[in-house]
Amino acid sequence: MTIPAPSPYRITAVRVLHSEWHKFRSLRSTWVTLLSASALVLGTGVTMGATYTPGGGDADIDTVVLVLYGTLLGQLCITVLGVLVTAGEYSTGMIRASLIAVPGRVPVLWAKAAVFTAAAFTSLFATALLTFLAAQRLLRGTDQEAGLTDPGILGAIAGNSAGITLLGLIALGLGALLRSVPGSIGAFIGGVLVLPEVLGMLPYDAVESALAYFPTQAAGALGSATPFPGAAAAGPALLALCLWAAVSLGAAAVLLRRRDA
Amino acid sequence: MIRAYDLTKRYGDTTVVHGLDFTVRPGTVTGFLGPNGAGKSTTLRMLLGLDAPTHGRSTIGGRDYTTHPAPLTEVGALLEARAVHPGRTAFHHLMALAHTHGIPRSRVEHVLDLAGLTDVAHRRIKGFSLGMGQRLGIAAALLGDPAHLVLDEPVNGLDPEGVLWIRNLLTSLAAQGRTVLVSSHLMSEMALTADHLVIIGRGRLLADTTVAELIRAAGGASVKVVTPQATTLRDLLTGRNVTAEPGAAGDELVVHGADAATIGRIAAAHTITLHELTPQTGSLERAFMELTQESAEYRTAAPLTGAAA
Repeated sequence: MTIPAPSPYRITAVRVLHSEWHKFRSLRSTWVTLLSASALVLGTGVTMGATYTPGGGDADIDTVVLVLYGTLLGQLCITVLGVLVTAGEYSTGMIRASLIAVPGRVPVLWAKAAVFTAAAFTSLFATALLTFLAAQRLLRGTDQEAGLTDPGILGAIAGNSAGITLLGLIALGLGALLRSVPGSIGAFIGGVLVLPEVLGMLPYDAVESALAYFPTQAAGALGSATPFPGAAAAGPALLALCLWAAVSLGAAAVLLRRRDA
Repeated sequence: MIRAYDLTKRYGDTTVVHGLDFTVRPGTVTGFLGPNGAGKSTTLRMLLGLDAPTHGRSTIGGRDYTTHPAPLTEVGALLEARAVHPGRTAFHHLMALAHTHGIPRSRVEHVLDLAGLTDVAHRRIKGFSLGMGQRLGIAAALLGDPAHLVLDEPVNGLDPEGVLWIRNLLTSLAAQGRTVLVSSHLMSEMALTADHLVIIGRGRLLADTTVAELIRAAGGASVKVVTPQATTLRDLLTGRNVTAEPGAAGDELVVHGADAATIGRIAAAHTITLHELTPQTGSLERAFMELTQESAEYRTAAPLTGAAA
């Protein structure tokens, strides 16, 4: 009778991160959603640049907002990716294998969030830079001409990418909370995208000022080089978005620890 | 060693697992038996920390499973429901799990080979048959070279070659000193692989026994003999601790207390022609049926009373 000798294998945070990165990159849906987001952002940005008429209806729009208009579409792809990272494991049953391998459970969620954040932000930021440069070639000589080094431009481009990444993190948390892909996408559309619009209809000033710190509005404020009326400043907007993401992930972590898998 | 102490799981008013106490020892294959809905899967999920017990606790290797620093080296698990993402390839599925413990690629390739999946390792799991899915589950269970194995219905969906492979694998894993716990709702399957049996019904422990003991309790193993000289053979066999009763047909005998080899030898010594000589596991099946009948979740209107079972 031989019992296997003590092995060098053991769980570490870095290894869980490595595992989640391997899971992330080995699914086709990851690349489909990331590349779709990039294609939508770039395609829309170039179209905006090519069709811009100086002095037309778009003249008063912030140049970064104009060029990155496609991120409104791209953000949906990133949201779906965020949901797939967590809820996708529940819908397939993979979560049981993941939790047997890492019975501490919560490190799996942190690792997923970290991998998603790094991948989504990198991809979004690279796409946004490329889109800005491509669109600006077409906008040369117009009143929307701007350079990367002009005040506020680079910050707004990074802010746009950070905002969408954080919205995606909220979706990732929702996916872990609701454990259903369609349910989580529905909840995100209803709770994060539509609800603030409905609340905005209410005739209360307090609601109006609070709305500036809701996820989509805060993300919008982050992605603009020139502050627009009624919006939060970049710092508080970023803080608000981080808090929203923290609440979503925190609730997911608590339930992940408590619920049967 | 796997131990359950007063393990209980309640969902609302329904108690699925009711105060289970049992011990699974190393070096043997332990069968975890019970009819469908007896609470086997829930019990295994509690052992693995997937479900929290309402009451009681369990240990694997002396500790709560969730507190092990390297759980995959402690327990290899195969769950009844698929626990894979169908969009990943078999290789990537195992590699992702391996990374959590720093298990190298060579080990992943080794278990793929062991499970006979090398040729399909880079195909997406989506296209796998039920049997291939089971083999992948076994490969995942063996990934950490674990001291304990917990397998929920491992032969489900396997072809005869796969079933044989599992039987040999389980026996050899136990022979290496590992603790092997295998659930099944089929007594016949367990009779072939398990040494020890933990039998539950409606979430309660019905028996914690060995296969040999259960056979003895069921009236011993019997051998069916078909011979044109039934009366002669019967007279030769009947004696100390051996009974031979006429079976369903006139030329048939059901012998208790002697194995097939002994009967064959006696028949040959007296030049008696045998048409059939078959060891019966029917008695074991019947013992299991009797044990679990009270607790079976779904019962047929008229209980099966098969002579040959």
